[in-house]
Amino acid sequence: MSSREPRFSLNKEDVRLGATCFAGALLLAVMTGPAGTPEQPLGAAKQAIFSSHVFGFLVFGALLASLSVFRRKVRMGEWHSRRETPRRSMRSVLGMRLATMGASWWLLAFVIAVLIALLLADYTGPYVANKFSVAQLMGQFHNTRTYGYIVFVLWIVNSWRLRFSTREHRVHLPAFVKSVWFRVVASALAGFGFALCADPWLPERFSFSYFTFSGPSTHAFLSHLPTWLWSLGGLFLGARAVLADRKTSTKTNRLRARQFGVSTNTRFALYGVALFVAFEAPKFMSPFWQLAIFQQIGIFCFLAIGLNIVVGFAGLLDLGYVAFYALGAYVCAYFSGALPIHPPFILSPFLSIPFAILVCMLSGVLLGLPTLRLRGDYLAIVTLGFGEIIYVLATNLQSVTGGANGTGIIPSFTMNVPGIHFALNGQALSGDLNFYYLLLVIMIPVLLLFTSLNNSRVGRSWAAIREDEVAAASLGISGLKYKVMAFAIGASTSGVAGVLISVKSGVLFPSNFALQVSITVLVLVIFGGMGSITGVLIGSAVIGWILQFLLFHSFIDYQDADKYMYIGAMLILAMIFRPQGLWPSKRREREFHDAEGGLGSADAMSAPSDGSAA
Amino acid sequence: MTNDLIFDVANVTLRFGGVTSLSGVNLQHRRGEILAVIGPNGAGKTSLFNSLTGVYSPQEGSITFNSASGASTSVIGVPPHKVARLGIGRTFQASRLFNALSTFENIKVGVEARQKTGPIGAMLTLPRTRREEQHSDEKALELLEFVGLAHRLNTPADSLPYGDRRRLEIARALGTNPEVLLLDEPAAGTNPSEKLQLAELIRKIAREKAVSVLLIEHDMRLVMSLAERLYVLNFGSVIAEGTPDEIRSNNKVIDAYLGSSDAGSALGSSDA
Repeated sequence: MSSREPRFSLNKEDVRLGATCFAGALLLAVMTGPAGTPEQPLGAAKQAIFSSHVFGFLVFGALLASLSVFRRKVRMGEWHSRRETPRRSMRSVLGMRLATMGASWWLLAFVIAVLIALLLADYTGPYVANKFSVAQLMGQFHNTRTYGYIVFVLWIVNSWRLRFSTREHRVHLPAFVKSVWFRVVASALAGFGFALCADPWLPERFSFSYFTFSGPSTHAFLSHLPTWLWSLGGLFLGARAVLADRKTSTKTNRLRARQFGVSTNTRFALYGVALFVAFEAPKFMSPFWQLAIFQQIGIFCFLAIGLNIVVGFAGLLDLGYVAFYALGAYVCAYFSGALPIHPPFILSPFLSIPFAILVCMLSGVLLGLPTLRLRGDYLAIVTLGFGEIIYVLATNLQSVTGGANGTGIIPSFTMNVPGIHFALNGQALSGDLNFYYLLLVIMIPVLLLFTSLNNSRVGRSWAAIREDEVAAASLGISGLKYKVMAFAIGASTSGVAGVLISVKSGVLFPSNFALQVSITVLVLVIFGGMGSITGVLIGSAVIGWILQFLLFHSFIDYQDADKYMYIGAMLILAMIFRPQGLWPSKRREREFHDAEGGLGSADAMSAPSDGSAA
Repeated sequence: MTNDLIFDVANVTLRFGGVTSLSGVNLQHRRGEILAVIGPNGAGKTSLFNSLTGVYSPQEGSITFNSASGASTSVIGVPPHKVARLGIGRTFQASRLFNALSTFENIKVGVEARQKTGPIGAMLTLPRTRREEQHSDEKALELLEFVGLAHRLNTPADSLPYGDRRRLEIARALGTNPEVLLLDEPAAGTNPSEKLQLAELIRKIAREKAVSVLLIEHDMRLVMSLAERLYVLNFGSVIAEGTPDEIRSNNKVIDAYLGSSDAGSALGSSDA
């Protein structure tokens, strides 16, 4: 530790630390936020955002963030603490004492924990006039959150004790903590806790009266399907963690290339927050936005994720992507009997999803086998042609598709299993949030699947083919096979999106499947960052949001038809200032870097020469 | 005669339009041997390599690959990725690494080319996928240590120095478990100390991995010390064949390289 000038440069790790603290505080603020009513959960959320409560937490988060960054800098020797000689801090003295404490000390710790927990529970509780009154403090005992805080405080005390009682930072956890059943059950409980936090109806949350089985749906927490889904999700995660722990050693774990340089713990927390926001935020939106996040944003996110497989992972330029979207939609229309030709059996739209996947996958393979031998521009032209063929067929084959006048009415999704009563009864224009949640339920597993696909053998083979097909072939990787695979996976994703949109709009017109849709989706992928699932999601959400936002807040007279002009402008700006996309994947970013340095090509699209080295 | 030959090239002629790149090339590569192909620029060495790996299909002649299991396969007309699966690994003259992938991932791509996991298994991370992933992790680590790149584990391939890129490319080809390894000018652009390491590595491959090595190289000192036998190509045909000593004293070879017979030193006879 030399006496260096304090440098005020923050590296990635500092930013991560700070952001985690701040995000944690924000999450706490949201979770402990103001009261709502069953009819209007968190009705006053807008006002509450500017309340002292939320700001209290944010200030707390900011303080915590700066403190921890400072401490980290000092520990790394980059900054100097004003205190030159390290003196035994209050904490370490306390820690020594804690390390050797007996039963009576624990009793005292417990009492202190209860008091702290009561105060905390009171401060973070719903708004009431007489805060900090004795009656109210005692009333906190009726709330489960108080017990949560007690456990939390004791946990902190215990972790201090452990830290100081072990010499070489060896932590002596009780053996049962490591056992399988403990971890699985604990994860399930964590899932349950998350369900508790994610439930919008605040006043009764954290109180015992909340855990009822009966009553109106908002009251009966224990008969909520989401409660059990979250708990099951936790159970699944726990079981997976246990399994993964057995399989992977720490040695190979550090070999995984990751998008962010953060620990698994932080990653998990970030995903948790994202999920929470995705589930909760739409409830506070106006009906317009509730519609828009499905129809204008969500569907395009989904399409973009599918196209990302083709363009981003496999590096193929596909301009006819909308064809598969249309196929999926018309397959759904066919099986629900909305087309002039009649199906052998009528299916509910839910059940037509597998058929849509199958049809799109097959047509992807059929289109791919002959055309994927082509490279770059030629492939783009062929796919463009395919998109137009489907569009023209949909318009002109009146006896099959109903032509430009549209199909008949496509019925809505219905599902009647205990807990989910998802029936829109043909009122396709209502219940937009239901569609949004349906999309979310489909999309989240798809995201997980695609992420693990990208990190697998298949994803690496795609990267290899994208970069150098000749070298990949010299290792025994068949370029055509993997390209067709990418095409088929992208196509089937698009098909599912087609089913969703066909049900949402109720009637299909060929004009819904024009070339512009393909181009828009391609722009979303490029704008967000090819090959990065997170990037594509962010890109689609940002562009979708801007286009909707302009509808109200444009400084010139903005029409919906003008949007392509804006998309084009945004694309040009992106190409000038951030050609690799908003949030590119690590691999793609490096490829870009190489291409600029003349080391390689950024895409299989810009065909590398004939292949053989002279 | 057939089974101790890993490659049997007989009368191979390759033309591009009117240009004859290889004419009547005969070459026998014995199993376990380090064989070198030398020749001046444009002699057809890389064309020969590309014919052996299925990139080019020669119009005449035959190329037979005899695998250790006893199967004989003709390589002509077989697409490169299928040739690779027969057990023929290769590197390229200008190194063709997957630049955006890390060192480790580059090797893994090679190892995984032989695995069976499909897209469904990869998405769901089925038990077999996990087993295969574990296997390829271990294999890749082992190969990284074998070629001496273990400290470069997570370095992106594009930021490796030249000598390391060469070794990584060899490791990647070894990942496919080849029976024969074709190295196209592995020492090009490396410095003398890297050349020594490389020669040691190639010997180690032949000895420890029991892989036959077929080598194109311009650095005579390296070739003469490394190869057990040499073929000399000039204008698409073999002009000489034999042990390093025989080649050194072969007048035709000296002519081909220098156009006159008064400077044998070019072929490395000066080093002991």
